[in-house]
Amino acid sequence: MDEEMIMDKQEFEKRTAKAREIILAAMCKAGSGHVGGAFSLVEIITALYNGIMKVDPQNPRWEDRDRLVLSKGHAGPVLYEALAQRGFFPMEWMDTINQGGTRLPSHADQNQTPGVDMTTGSLGQGLSCACGLALAAKRDHKDHTVFCIIGDGESNEGQNWEAAMFAAQYRLDNLVVICDYNKLQIDGTTHQVMNLDPLPAKWEAFGWEAFEMDGHDLDDINRTIAKAKEVAGKPAIIIANTIKGRGHREYANQAGSHNVKLNPEDADKILAGLEA
Amino acid sequence: MQLHEKEARMVYSETLCDLIKKNPDIYCLEADLAKATGTFGTVREECPDNFIDTGVQEANLIGVAAGLANEGKRPFAATFSCFASRRVYDQITISVAYAKNNVKIIGTAPGVTQGPNGGTHMCFQDLAIMRAMPNMEVYSPCDAYEIREVTRYLAQTPNPAYMQLLRPVLPAIFDEDYKFTPGKAVRLSQGDQVTLVATGFMTAFAKQAVQELKEEGVSVELLHYPVIKPFDDQALAESVKKTGSCVVVENQNIIGGLGGAVCESLAENYPAPVKRLGVPDAFGEVATEDYLLEKHGFSLGHIKAACIEFAPK
Repeated sequence: MDEEMIMDKQEFEKRTAKAREIILAAMCKAGSGHVGGAFSLVEIITALYNGIMKVDPQNPRWEDRDRLVLSKGHAGPVLYEALAQRGFFPMEWMDTINQGGTRLPSHADQNQTPGVDMTTGSLGQGLSCACGLALAAKRDHKDHTVFCIIGDGESNEGQNWEAAMFAAQYRLDNLVVICDYNKLQIDGTTHQVMNLDPLPAKWEAFGWEAFEMDGHDLDDINRTIAKAKEVAGKPAIIIANTIKGRGHREYANQAGSHNVKLNPEDADKILAGLEA
Repeated sequence: MQLHEKEARMVYSETLCDLIKKNPDIYCLEADLAKATGTFGTVREECPDNFIDTGVQEANLIGVAAGLANEGKRPFAATFSCFASRRVYDQITISVAYAKNNVKIIGTAPGVTQGPNGGTHMCFQDLAIMRAMPNMEVYSPCDAYEIREVTRYLAQTPNPAYMQLLRPVLPAIFDEDYKFTPGKAVRLSQGDQVTLVATGFMTAFAKQAVQELKEEGVSVELLHYPVIKPFDDQALAESVKKTGSCVVVENQNIIGGLGGAVCESLAENYPAPVKRLGVPDAFGEVATEDYLLEKHGFSLGHIKAACIEFAPK
């Protein structure tokens, strides 16, 4: 409801630094975590939940809210931090990630976590589901926006391209997709493993309006998402140029940061690697 | 025209069309097989806003349906049973069942009824694999009246479900008075020498077998299972306590489907000899239904022979 809480740049930087600390500390406690793909999204998710998306922490299923499908579900913790920060649930829940009985599983789960709009984790499925959300909004004459975040490695999955055709066919201009283009996937760079380029041209060929942005720059995020929301008659995608593991000296730009073993006893040392 | 004189697919599609007119939250989803399902000239014509065709995109079909269900819609997503189950098993598992999104999946032309499409399209494992999925109910109605009843029922329930849908005109097992009872098997004949269990396409053959065996002096109790999961353990145990043995026949692989359910249930509740009739762990091929029933040993003659073998001499 209080979507007007726009932050200034300084406050935003403080907030995103704190978010990385909370996420990494929680992953250390859990013993492992998808650090790379979570850290590449910190600025985007923080911006979405602090000024861009209409949400109501007191009423997570509010029917006029904007939706987010985090199709790269393994980045769950970055979403959880943002939701906790907004008051969807206590920040203390972050300490329970991946513990038995937790409400915060490694991958996003609509039935476990207040504020999670769609269950994801098996890559390639979220965009189809987001199309369903957007189609329902169209049929119900609602004007909220459905956001969907897909990974670049995830973009190898053919189902994304089925959904790409579908969204264009059904003119889902209430759908804004953000591709977390950090150019790394588990087995190497996206160029080495399964090249996606020219990525914006691919989406344009599928009938989408494509944008690019610096996924770590607040002004660019705000500006580009605003433009994407204005696209009429077709869906929009933003290729977000990001750095996997951004903000940590050891994990930044490392394919190996996809899923990292983190010894809880080394938490202090690991957290010391965060860049100020 | 009486209901059972209609093609089964038209019974499904006309029922769905009526349901959508009463409840606009119900949606019909197809993947370029709307003509095969019968919804092309019905739902598509009469309720175009509630008709979504994804083209040849089964994975996306399930995902879009899951998204609609997440928003409180009630999507019925249909395609051939081979595509509606095995092709999109992970999509159904995660986006539908695990996520508890209320999608009804309609698998058409099951098993040997794919005839001329042959081995690539002939799915004998959908009951087994859908049954093994948590949060998933599994249905296989046997005639026009039951298809109408189960479709109406599924439009009201909050849980994901998979339903096999036969397409041609089917022999009438029931009539206009039939009321579907959720979770229950239907006893189609009383008998005391052997229990015969059937579902879907094979129930009509089983009924015929029971009638012919009666004339031959063999008393068969026939249980029809429109719902394979949740499985009605009680009806089976009660019947087998009386008869002492069970023959089960299905238009599926004998591994894991109705036969599997029967064996699991009896093993735990009332151990007794069981004969499973169906496809003995083989793929399909292009052929008539009769050819395939004969070849794989679950024709009318095979059903009768198995019952005679189990009936006390």
